[in-house]
Amino acid sequence: MNEHLVLTIALPLLGAFLLPIIMRSSLAMGVWIGPVILGYGCWILANLWLHGNEQPFSIAIGGFAPPLGINLYVDAMALLFAFATQLLGLIFWPFRLDQDTPKRQALMLLLVASSTGLALSGDLFNLYVFYELVAVSTFGLIAASSSSAAYVATIRYLILSGIGSVLTLFGIALIYAQTGTLNLAHLAQLAPDQLNNDLGLAAFLAILIGIGVKAELFPVNTWVPEVYATAASRLSAFLAGLVSKLSMLIILRLLLLIFHQPEATQVILILGILGVISGEFAAWRAKDMRRMLAFSSIGQLGVIFIAVALPDERGVLAVLALSLHHMLIKSGLFMLADHWGGSLERLRGIATTSPLAAGLFVLFALSLVGMPPLPGFWAKFTLITELAGQTDPLYMIGLLVFLLATVIEASYLFRVAAKMYQTKPTDIVRSNSPDSGSLSLTTASLFGAGLIAATVMVSPLGDGLQAIAVQAQDVDLYIQTVLQQPLGEGQ
Amino acid sequence: MTFTPLDELLLFSGATLLVALILGRGLAAGWMVTILYGGQLLTLIKMAALGYSDTIIHASISFEIMGQSLSWRFDALSWFFALITVASALLSSWFSCGEWERSFKQQGGNVWLYHSAMALNVFTMLILLASGDLLSLFIGWELVSWAGFLLMAMAGGVATRAAMRYITYAMAGGMAVFGGIALVYVAAGSLQYEAILTAVDQMSSTQLWMLVVMFGGGFGVKMGLLPFHLWQAPAYAETPGPGSAFLGAISSRMGLFAILLVLVKLFGIVNIDSLKIPFTLIDARDLLAWIAVFTIILPTFTAMKQNDARHLLAWHGIGQGGYMLLGVVVADAMGGAGGLLHVFNHATYQAALFMAVTAVIHRTGTSDLNKLGGLVVRMPLSFMVLLVGIIGLAGLPPMNGFVSKWLVYRSLLNEGMPLLFLAAVIGTLGTILSVYKLIHNIFLGQLRIEHEQVKEAPWSMMIPMLILAAIIFITGLFPGIPLAWVASVQEVIGLPATDYTLGGVESVSGSLDMIWVIGVLFAGFGIGAVIFYSAGRSKRVHQLDNYAGGHFLSADVRYQYSDNFYAGLMHLIGGWYRSSFLWLEKSVTSLVDFFSLVMQGLYRRANAEFYLLSTALFVIAWVVI
Amino acid sequence: MIPGFTLELILYSTALGLVSIGLAGLVLSHHLFRIVLALVIAEAGANLMLVLAGYRWDAVAPILTTLGEQPQMVDPVPQAMVLTAIVIGVGIQALAVSILIRIRQRYHTLDRNEVAELMDAEIAATAGTARDVSQEAPLGERPIPPITDDAVQVRGGRS
Repeated sequence: MNEHLVLTIALPLLGAFLLPIIMRSSLAMGVWIGPVILGYGCWILANLWLHGNEQPFSIAIGGFAPPLGINLYVDAMALLFAFATQLLGLIFWPFRLDQDTPKRQALMLLLVASSTGLALSGDLFNLYVFYELVAVSTFGLIAASSSSAAYVATIRYLILSGIGSVLTLFGIALIYAQTGTLNLAHLAQLAPDQLNNDLGLAAFLAILIGIGVKAELFPVNTWVPEVYATAASRLSAFLAGLVSKLSMLIILRLLLLIFHQPEATQVILILGILGVISGEFAAWRAKDMRRMLAFSSIGQLGVIFIAVALPDERGVLAVLALSLHHMLIKSGLFMLADHWGGSLERLRGIATTSPLAAGLFVLFALSLVGMPPLPGFWAKFTLITELAGQTDPLYMIGLLVFLLATVIEASYLFRVAAKMYQTKPTDIVRSNSPDSGSLSLTTASLFGAGLIAATVMVSPLGDGLQAIAVQAQDVDLYIQTVLQQPLGEGQ
Repeated sequence: MTFTPLDELLLFSGATLLVALILGRGLAAGWMVTILYGGQLLTLIKMAALGYSDTIIHASISFEIMGQSLSWRFDALSWFFALITVASALLSSWFSCGEWERSFKQQGGNVWLYHSAMALNVFTMLILLASGDLLSLFIGWELVSWAGFLLMAMAGGVATRAAMRYITYAMAGGMAVFGGIALVYVAAGSLQYEAILTAVDQMSSTQLWMLVVMFGGGFGVKMGLLPFHLWQAPAYAETPGPGSAFLGAISSRMGLFAILLVLVKLFGIVNIDSLKIPFTLIDARDLLAWIAVFTIILPTFTAMKQNDARHLLAWHGIGQGGYMLLGVVVADAMGGAGGLLHVFNHATYQAALFMAVTAVIHRTGTSDLNKLGGLVVRMPLSFMVLLVGIIGLAGLPPMNGFVSKWLVYRSLLNEGMPLLFLAAVIGTLGTILSVYKLIHNIFLGQLRIEHEQVKEAPWSMMIPMLILAAIIFITGLFPGIPLAWVASVQEVIGLPATDYTLGGVESVSGSLDMIWVIGVLFAGFGIGAVIFYSAGRSKRVHQLDNYAGGHFLSADVRYQYSDNFYAGLMHLIGGWYRSSFLWLEKSVTSLVDFFSLVMQGLYRRANAEFYLLSTALFVIAWVVI
Repeated sequence: MIPGFTLELILYSTALGLVSIGLAGLVLSHHLFRIVLALVIAEAGANLMLVLAGYRWDAVAPILTTLGEQPQMVDPVPQAMVLTAIVIGVGIQALAVSILIRIRQRYHTLDRNEVAELMDAEIAATAGTARDVSQEAPLGERPIPPITDDAVQVRGGRS
């Protein structure tokens, strides 16, 4: 069973390369390939989740045992995010049929494959490769909306991302020069002796800023408002909801396993705080829904970075809870933006024409600002109790900034909500096309239903996440699982 | 499974909400909801034992979420506030049934939304009042905030803007409380009241200071304490009539409830008293007392300048909250009793006043004090109710407001706080002046031509108003009835209980017997009436039989002195109105605006990240070499 | 040759130098194509760094020729990685250049600032809003206009 897991990466990759060819011969067959592959991936992962024995395991690729070979490391956290990737890939599948469909679907498969790889990979260089693959497929997908603005946004994103890659590679080179290995488990073993110094810190900073580009880390996130405003909303939802979280996950893993310097967490904390401030303040004046969501996403990711900087497993729990919550909410909100499209001013009185969408917006907004008993509240509660417990005054600042940001967030979100419920619609809103409008509303309702389900199930969910966090926190378990395994298992 | 009375109450309240949601569009929705409020009141009365002892009733539901246990229970404090909540909901809902509902619908209002929002407010308030630990308190707190937003925002237009302002303030307050809860959790390791009580003793004064500031500020926002009071008057005043009666009666008292629970019961007035402000002579408790006093004075004098009856009343609502806090902060038996009793008294007369004003709006279509006058001949019963209400509000005998204010004044004198006493009296002066403006501009003077055909308010509105007027008078005559509940509340929150009698209080430091006071008062009235009628010199004149400045006024030019009311007084004190708080609020908004602009600029300036990146890289290079 | 000034040192400084030149180019140039070229240079520097990280001066290339006694070999892993990185880099550069061509076709300019301005204008136009920050209208309307005194106080009531 376990070895089927490789298929979740391999099949979409294969599909991505074959799809254009198949589509040329038979369109009817071609359109089903992507969803089927992703559906199968979901099934594999769900099966593993349900029937697994909760112990993490490692899959050596090509039969070479780590640290020599490359491995996939599968614990509950990786599995959770891999599952989320495949599921969201399925939900945000580019169904629309036109001449670009083969390209778009192939790129989407590539994006899902590489994102799954990011979640599962246990090797630093592999992470880099998957990371670059994510980048390439993202560029293609953004540019696929073929407006001039999208091209400019892509190239600006590409340049920034390019610098990020250079920096990441540089950091990886530093680590390799120091330790001679790139296997995460092996690195975790060696780190306390060899990387607990200035060089390790420098390598960490380089990797942090490099990967931070996708995780919307503060100084390298200027692409966010441009890309989310120009790309298709479904793609923005996938990027904001998932890809940013996966990058965050990598940083979290590296921090947990390898870099234990207090300076490292401090840097993350400071950048996180700056991200919260800049994002939430910028969103306050935004006049267009996608920009508002983009800025608010920067702010939310800043909050998650603050959580990443927390030391023990409750910090990890906060990261997981906030990430999953944001994944659900932002995806839903971007779908609503897709449904309505554009200017906030045009939303005046929208509640009378589309009450369901307006209701969903209010629901998402309430959860985002942390209204109990919605799940957002519990995520935030975990975060602030943990922040308040730290002795370093920097965490206190983080707490205050977080609270302030929540107030600002409530203010701008409910300004929009109040506008929606004004009695007289001045202008009837056109959605982009009638088809995508109803599809995106259905998708948004799906996320709304998920949110309500999470509200009801908040107690078991909390316990589940707690278990995942404890497991992810356990460095010894990671090292043991990866390194002490008989050769040749799983092919 | 057996239901405790508290379960019954919460279920009843939830059922009311459901009925309002499902059947709210139907014909008799208002009456059904009203009857259900009546049912809630009966359930509360079933729990009346709570009001006379310090027993606790638990709810049978409790949750265990993410390591936190949530539970709900009722004690004397909760019961006292719940009684006021449900009673005012019952009367406001009754008031809204029938004619008001119809005219509201005609003007494009959403009756379904109104009933649902009211029911939601009551339900969430009961959840808040029943909270059994700090986390459920916060959950209830946020629910109440958002439910209030719904009721305030529903009228649209100015109301929505006022509600937006409210929710920004409320979120800021809520987040301060949230932060405070996190600090408490870290200090006590749990959010159960018992754990916090033990942890408070070990807290350093810095910790306690932070908690007092965060909780006091956060809860104070809902109460409308200075400097967080600006949102309240427009938000309450612009709510549809019966809604503003309900909100004005009880909504902002939720803040007082939370302050009583957290600051007084958990932290303890003694602990707060020990927090000195460095380099000054005052401590945290004095600070609270002075905030309370300024909350009395400034909004009251702002009320005097209002030209809209509803805004005038709403501003008074803020000011009266100051008396409650002042009494509680003084914290002796009399002061505490005065503060708590004022919650009850204020709810009764504020609801009555808002209803009377709404009745006037219902008949005349305006609440602008410059466009009314002389209505006493057309709406005599409403006039009576308003008169009873303003006597209560001004704190004069024989109405109930007198008792609570007397208790607060007395305790200030007993405890040797003459400055606070003086300031409170100045506040009362402002109250008397402005309520006179209210009754004069609406009911006295000459009737306007356009109001010639106005009729008395319909009975569906009149009966709740008369009930309230009766309560105001009866609890003024026998303040012992509510004082019994107040005494048990005092015991529950750890203040000395007052020695009450049916007619008032009986203690060494001062006594009051309202039965005697009112007896003497009415005897005086009686003697006056005997003289007046027996002398036979009185002559009955028509309202229009009047003259001004030596000129007889013809019937087609109606004379009503209302514009620029208190011109002489304003000439004296007008310079004191600086709108400093409005200025402060605008500054904060502008500051946020400015930061927002800066941040957007930051994200537009493409070069910024390159500079940052290159700096980062050179730092790295420096470390490597 | 100056003592201590070894080949290794020269190569390491070359790597750092390339990265610095690349970054300087990124910061200083205004033409998007030049920026892409600067990126290429910076990437070359990073690749060189990676190669150097595993290189051994006293060893031979890591190719197994005989199964007998093996000489000291250079670490093959970084070289493999650099190959991958170069391939990825070339792919991205090709993509970048193709996008540049599209931009040039649409906007007739490749100046960084001009292009950004045009993009902002287009985003705002698509969304149907005024620009968030613009030279023509520096402030615009307040998101929450403060409630003025006259709106509150001198307003005729309506229930």
